[in-house]
Amino acid sequence: MFAELNSILNSSPESFKQGEFILVSDRQTDASFLIHHFLSFYLRAGCKVCFLGLVQSFSHYSAVSQRLGVSLNQAREKGQLVFLEGLKESLGVLLQGDTSNGTPALDFLRDPSSGLRGLYDFVHGNIRGSEGRAEDWGPPVLMVDDLSVVLSLGVSVGAVLDFSHYCRATFCSELQGTMVILVRCEAEEEEEESDEGSERLQRGLTHQCSLTLQVQGLPTGYCRDIHGEVEVCWRGRCDGLQIQRKLFQYKVCDKGTLFFARGTSSAVL
Amino acid sequence: MLLEVLQGTEAGGFILLQDTVSYSGRHLLKSYISTALKRLHFHNAYSDPLGWTGNSAFTVHQFTLEDVSTLIKQTPQAKAVTLVIDSLSWILRHHDPAAVCQRLQALKKGGAVRTVIVLVHTDMHQRGTVGSIRHLATSVVTVAPGTRGLGAVAKTTRRTKSGKLMQDEETFSINEDLSVTIHSKLSHPGHTHVNTDETEVDPTANLTFNLRLSDTERQAKEKLALPFVFSKEKKSALLQPGPGSGRILYEPDANDDYDQEDPDDDLDI
Repeated sequence: MFAELNSILNSSPESFKQGEFILVSDRQTDASFLIHHFLSFYLRAGCKVCFLGLVQSFSHYSAVSQRLGVSLNQAREKGQLVFLEGLKESLGVLLQGDTSNGTPALDFLRDPSSGLRGLYDFVHGNIRGSEGRAEDWGPPVLMVDDLSVVLSLGVSVGAVLDFSHYCRATFCSELQGTMVILVRCEAEEEEEESDEGSERLQRGLTHQCSLTLQVQGLPTGYCRDIHGEVEVCWRGRCDGLQIQRKLFQYKVCDKGTLFFARGTSSAVL
Repeated sequence: MLLEVLQGTEAGGFILLQDTVSYSGRHLLKSYISTALKRLHFHNAYSDPLGWTGNSAFTVHQFTLEDVSTLIKQTPQAKAVTLVIDSLSWILRHHDPAAVCQRLQALKKGGAVRTVIVLVHTDMHQRGTVGSIRHLATSVVTVAPGTRGLGAVAKTTRRTKSGKLMQDEETFSINEDLSVTIHSKLSHPGHTHVNTDETEVDPTANLTFNLRLSDTERQAKEKLALPFVFSKEKKSALLQPGPGSGRILYEPDANDDYDQEDPDDDLDI
């Protein structure tokens, strides 16, 4: 968890806004450092986290979280963390080819046109299943890394938006928990409105969310000391005249990330 | 004109609210609901629009003339009904645009509803889809973020029953109590950059040295004749040999008379 990001977002593990849908998107860079931040943040806050890891293995997140001071193995044993290892489970689905084996969560691998209903049922079941011990943990959190990968597996943008709508209705509105979703956009050359594409998915999710963090590389190119820019946009409110939007630059270090206002990097000053 | 549309002075119309990712039109929709509507009956199609969890009040597939009319008849004192849809983009994702237009028109013509107001996200659909909804509408309000972060800009287009078209563009902001404040009317929608001249900063102010000219200094500057500018006085001075100026005496020399076609001067033609 990054202390500077906490102060930018005005939240801390002791007090954070509930019912938020946080969308992390990136373009031509890697925003997964924000996912590590939110994972350690919500585990420290004592929330029950349901993590859909579709692009990396559990050991990857475990290793990074170790450096941030949180043990994912312990959290998983205690029942605080439910981790869906997309990569491992997908092998079972694709190689065995038998409908009786494997979790129905990854049914979209067998039949992309059926959408992400199976994934939603999995998430729903995991959160509902611990009704008895729900008081042990704080409000539930759903994290997805990353959602745009299912587009390349044949799932349509509409199906993904339906999935995120249902998750939002359950996690944010009903259970007053939080959702954090990472989408990665490819820079498309054509300016035409394409029906299927990560840009359309990102726009659709932005309409649904309450807070977006858009990460981009520097427009001037590669820099050793500044890895990119983050634009934070609060969508839920419309305080008077100002629309809430802030821009920061960041540098990813070994044990954290430094955030600073544009032009105030320590390498420059 | 925005306030007239929001206060519902136009009875029996179809109001279309268009927004994009940069600025959400939902705030304006809420403002309309709070100012124009006396009684609000909320039909929950949010928690389960596709029937995934099995306890849905209204699914997206029930958006037909019969089902919506039944829903309206169920509400007590159902006369002069205003139908508010948030958002039509959701329905457009699941139904054919032509069918949606037909159903909306049937609802209005059939007398079940008197006024319709819908919210559409223009960046989620193709231009043709948005265009066909626009054709149904009698008033179209397009919201976009304002320049320089001052609230938002609303472009209103109204079509009266006689066919007259009125357009307006205003900067507005929404207060805490959901009332709308209009800040300025832009009479020429394309000339918003004229406003920036008023706030141009004077570069000669706040300096430690003086860059300004006093009146005498300005006159002396204008009187100064530049050395290489060829003015009338200089021309006449050069052409007339004044007293004491050098005179040039020239006697034609044989070597100066070089004929290109006869260099040795020995042709006798």
